[in-house]
Amino acid sequence: MEWTSGKGPVEPEPVRQPHRLTMRQREGLVGFLFLTPWILGFILLKAIPILAALGLSFTNFRMLEPEKTVFVGLENYITFLGDTGAGASLFGSIAFFVQAVPVELAVALALALVFSSKRLRAKPILRTLFFMPSIIPAIAIFFIVSGLFNPNSGWINQLFMQPLGLPPIANFFQFFPVMLAVWTIGPGFLIMLGAMQSVPPEVYEAARVDGAGPITRFFTITIPMISPAIFFSLVINTISSFGGVALLDRGLPFSQSLSPMEGYINTQMFSYTKLGYASALAVVMFIVVAVVTLAMFRSTKYWVHFPEEREDEDF
Amino acid sequence: MKTSSPLGRRIRRYFSLSALTFRMWNFTGTAILNLFIWVAIAVYLFPLTYMAVTAVKTNAQLSDSRSPIYPAEALTYAYGGKDLPVYNVPQDDGSVAQWAMIKSTRKTVDWIDTLNPERGVIPWEGSWRSLERTYIPRIELGNFVGLWENLDYPNLLRNTFIIIFFTELGVLCSSIAVAYGFSRFRIPGGKYLFMLCIATIMIPDSITLVPSFVIYTRVLNWNGSFLPLIIPHMFGSAIYIFLLRQNFKTIPREMDEAAMLDGAGPVRTLISIILPQAVPAVVTVGLLHFFNTWNEMRMASLYLSTRMDLRTMAFSAQAFVSIGFTPEVLQASAILLMVVPVVVLFLAQRFFMQDMVVTGIEK
Repeated sequence: MEWTSGKGPVEPEPVRQPHRLTMRQREGLVGFLFLTPWILGFILLKAIPILAALGLSFTNFRMLEPEKTVFVGLENYITFLGDTGAGASLFGSIAFFVQAVPVELAVALALALVFSSKRLRAKPILRTLFFMPSIIPAIAIFFIVSGLFNPNSGWINQLFMQPLGLPPIANFFQFFPVMLAVWTIGPGFLIMLGAMQSVPPEVYEAARVDGAGPITRFFTITIPMISPAIFFSLVINTISSFGGVALLDRGLPFSQSLSPMEGYINTQMFSYTKLGYASALAVVMFIVVAVVTLAMFRSTKYWVHFPEEREDEDF
Repeated sequence: MKTSSPLGRRIRRYFSLSALTFRMWNFTGTAILNLFIWVAIAVYLFPLTYMAVTAVKTNAQLSDSRSPIYPAEALTYAYGGKDLPVYNVPQDDGSVAQWAMIKSTRKTVDWIDTLNPERGVIPWEGSWRSLERTYIPRIELGNFVGLWENLDYPNLLRNTFIIIFFTELGVLCSSIAVAYGFSRFRIPGGKYLFMLCIATIMIPDSITLVPSFVIYTRVLNWNGSFLPLIIPHMFGSAIYIFLLRQNFKTIPREMDEAAMLDGAGPVRTLISIILPQAVPAVVTVGLLHFFNTWNEMRMASLYLSTRMDLRTMAFSAQAFVSIGFTPEVLQASAILLMVVPVVVLFLAQRFFMQDMVVTGIEK
């Protein structure tokens, strides 16, 4: 009974080569190689510029006389505290975010809900039509709004203001951001629609059997099941309302940025060439966006139901 | 009893009052829903209707505040070797005649009846300025022709497509590789790297703008070239990485494990196993990047403003407002600006964001 003693035909001892990596290490290394483009990009395009902006924000760097740059400490930030223009712009940015994002989300959600009805016909064409305005360049929208509100030949005046006996709207600029916000529901709508269509119908069937009405089903099944999609839409809408590029870029020129703060930063940068001060403003804006984003991520544990990750994928 | 046969019973049930009522409710509900959504889309796209209608109008029609809302042309009548303007003149019997104006003073007009010129000159008294011109529908394409000839459209398109081609290539290759790395390999600390990647989406442009502007113009001397618009995309884009990784994770791992066992390396597995199953996601990301690059204006306005010959479509359009184009030309240029992305969207709508199911941002 030699083989029971454990000395029997055992598997050969794995040949340990001192310089060979284990499978796991090899996998990590290969995976890491695939990540190199992003890691390089992160260091070159994000980390270094952000640190540089932070550094510049403590100087009086000006584009036209770089040799006169000196360290000024917190002076730029103190200037910001006394700068009513910057304060108003920052407040305007936050106000736009607070007004536009909930409306965009609600409209996108309502539209996705209508589209998830089996009774709706011609869905592919309608879906594309509702999405279409989201890819129109900002400058084209600017032309359209300027024409639409033209006091002489614009349709708003011809079809609504004149028949009602009202004076024509003189300034169309205030309607440009409204139009942009209204026409930005596309990505959120498609993401929520995709999520709604992936909810298993058995769940609704079970709730119906238990006597849940359509409103109960919406709030207790649809909303929790698609909450990751709602959260994702919230994030991308937040980014674009602060003038960032998320998913879809309309190419807003700086002077017409949706976010007044961004417009103000760019005025400081290009009209006054105060790069040091512009950097300080950008740092302030970055902090505001970071706080808003962090708060949103923190709130997810109360309302977003992320699907459980499989245990075997510990990464 | 014939009526109790299964068919007869089915027919009777079909026409029974309760079934009829149910079907009518059902039909009414469907009709209301579909009607509602078409009304909604009409309202939603109302500004586009304005754009399309105005772009094919003439400036003369826009200047006349009493012209019809549809694209039309003021009618003229050739008489005596001249083109006479035609007006809608109300008659005593309540009808409206279309008379051409031969001669006018402040209060009197000599008309000729366009339908009955043999009647000769009709003298008329009244305030003719309150009369409306006669319009007939006509589509004017001259606005497009003028734009095409005055702005160097072939060159603008070429520049835009050069940028789109190279950035598309770079951003897709890099993002696919990184998404593959994040979705298939157990990398030490990979979870935190991925969260860092997601976090970079939130970084506003403004903060990286100043240093990168200084580096591109002062250090690398890339001002006036396509390089600042192309090179940053070679490193992939965080949001595309996120979307692709989400999609790659839905592809069963068994398939690429089988391929790996057959001796396929990671790159081969990616190309022959993962990518064929991720076509809609890759097409979606490619399209998103296409739309973004087509619309891109900031980088172009920063780095291409010194080189007129390198302008892109969207950037060149920025100048139209200050040039002082009239509304109908502006609408025509808006159409020229958006027609390419819209056509691409409609051609690719079968793939676009079709199975983009976002399950979580942290996971």
